[in-house]
Amino acid sequence: MKVVYCGGCNPHIDRSAVAAGLPLDDQDVRAGATVHLSGCPRACASDHRLTGEQDAAPGAAAEAAPRPGRDQVKVVVAGELVDGVPTPEAQLATTITRKLKE
Amino acid sequence: MTLRTPEEFIQSLADLHLQIYLFGEKIDDYVNHPIIRPSINCIAMTYELAAQPEYESLMLATSHLSGKRVNRFTHIHQSTDDLSKKVKMQRLLGQKTGSCFQRCVGMDAINALYSVTYETDQAKGTDYHARFKKYVQYLQDHDLVADGAMTDPKGDRSLPPHQQPDPDMYLHIVEKRDDGIVVRGAKAHQTGACNSHEIIVMPTVAMREGDEDYAVSFSCPANAEGVYYIYGRQSCDTRKLEDNALDVGNANFGGQEALMVFDDVFVPWDRVYMCGEIEFSGALVERFAGFHRQSYGGCKVGVGDVLIGAAATAADMNGAAKASHIKDKLIEMTHLNETLFSCGLACSYEGVRMPAGNFQIDMLLANVCKQNVTRFPYEIARLAEDIAGGLMVTMPSAQDLADEKIGPIVEKFLVGQCDTPVIDRLRILRLVENLTLGTAAVGYRTESMHGAGSPQAQRIMIARQSNINHKKELAKALAGVGKPWQNKAKVPTAVQAD
Repeated sequence: MKVVYCGGCNPHIDRSAVAAGLPLDDQDVRAGATVHLSGCPRACASDHRLTGEQDAAPGAAAEAAPRPGRDQVKVVVAGELVDGVPTPEAQLATTITRKLKE
Repeated sequence: MTLRTPEEFIQSLADLHLQIYLFGEKIDDYVNHPIIRPSINCIAMTYELAAQPEYESLMLATSHLSGKRVNRFTHIHQSTDDLSKKVKMQRLLGQKTGSCFQRCVGMDAINALYSVTYETDQAKGTDYHARFKKYVQYLQDHDLVADGAMTDPKGDRSLPPHQQPDPDMYLHIVEKRDDGIVVRGAKAHQTGACNSHEIIVMPTVAMREGDEDYAVSFSCPANAEGVYYIYGRQSCDTRKLEDNALDVGNANFGGQEALMVFDDVFVPWDRVYMCGEIEFSGALVERFAGFHRQSYGGCKVGVGDVLIGAAATAADMNGAAKASHIKDKLIEMTHLNETLFSCGLACSYEGVRMPAGNFQIDMLLANVCKQNVTRFPYEIARLAEDIAGGLMVTMPSAQDLADEKIGPIVEKFLVGQCDTPVIDRLRILRLVENLTLGTAAVGYRTESMHGAGSPQAQRIMIARQSNINHKKELAKALAGVGKPWQNKAKVPTAVQAD
């Protein structure tokens, strides 16, 4: 599992503490999984995206957007948001872990 | 239909036969009314520029829904590039019209509702997002103008909507039917309402328990049965009824506000996007306000460009352009104006892709942008009045200038810099007057204060997102707060006496 950090200029959360709570060696987490860990809602670690979903081509249905493969699990943290859903800081690590194992 | 021409837009507006009241009279030929027409010309400019190749990169966008080229005012932002182009487009239109061009509210409403309907569906299992996307594509395919209607009259501000003595102080649902809802109430200060094909209604505050009937969002045609408009006055508006263009200052363009009344209006379900979901009303208010606070970092800057240009031209015509204090004031005006633009761009570049797929501005920076807008245009206007001189508010009328006997006297005594025709000097001073205390001051000054939310609304949002604890930790770390204190007096270096 890989953690991609933002630059850390405006952290609303303790990114290091969140990363320390992640299951780095857990067998249930698929190889290649990535956690994009930004300190604030600007989501710099994930190129300003609050979720890992891809864009559909213009004019195409949203369902037509490219889907990540099973080995490309991507969780986006932006301050107290996990994949765009408000999540208190104390619950960030457990929420990310659950998503990594889904 | 694809993109409309300005002429097609104006004809389509006339064809709506809107119910508009002005000075106590119903106005049937509103597209040719001298007080209303300048505001229509502003929106027509959003069509005119879209047809010109040199403005296409700002004025047009590719719809993510249809893949077609659409007017950016109907576009759902797909990137931070879209967000910054929106601000630049607004600056361009402010420059071309010297006015509020009114089409932004609908754009900001569709972008706010796009993500809120998606998130409501995710949480509640509703189908608002699919029906809203269909509506957005309808706006795009027909190149329509939509009014984003948020501000309720609000009555007694100390009471929530459902406790108001008159329940109509906040727009609300009065009946739910199998085929739709019936709504009653009003929306105040509606910019461009009488120039719109469509109305998009949103709640004005975060609703609480008991306010369910007030947590309502929908769209309807601007000429829906039961909808009518009472046109708002502007300072010096009746100058537009006089038979000359000079004293108006900006004869071709102007803003528009109206009180929009909903007298038991029926809305079918496929046009309803929120119906009682109080927990999502706050997000809708914040996101619309956020987008609109970003907008002011573009539109007011464009109008500011015109005012700075007018002040500089007035200085030229007064023969004062070389004075160092005049140059410095123009620098200060430019500095303030570009600071506003910087904020508009910053909140765009720091925008994020929402779970719904659209891009939203950075909320903190958008609120900082608008907070500056509540102040800087006032200072820019003050400096413009300083540079222009008192003549802008004391000069005789156009009728005096045209008078056979008085006219030559006016010309003799109002001459400025020798090469400047007096008529041109008066024109530029009237433009400064128009922008600083005439009809356009509604848009440039008071709208800068209260439009998109009054100053305190931004301060609440800034406080909420200021991350003050992080700042405290930074200071404590550098000062050594909390570390053991070692009481070692620093021994001063001995000074050798001569």
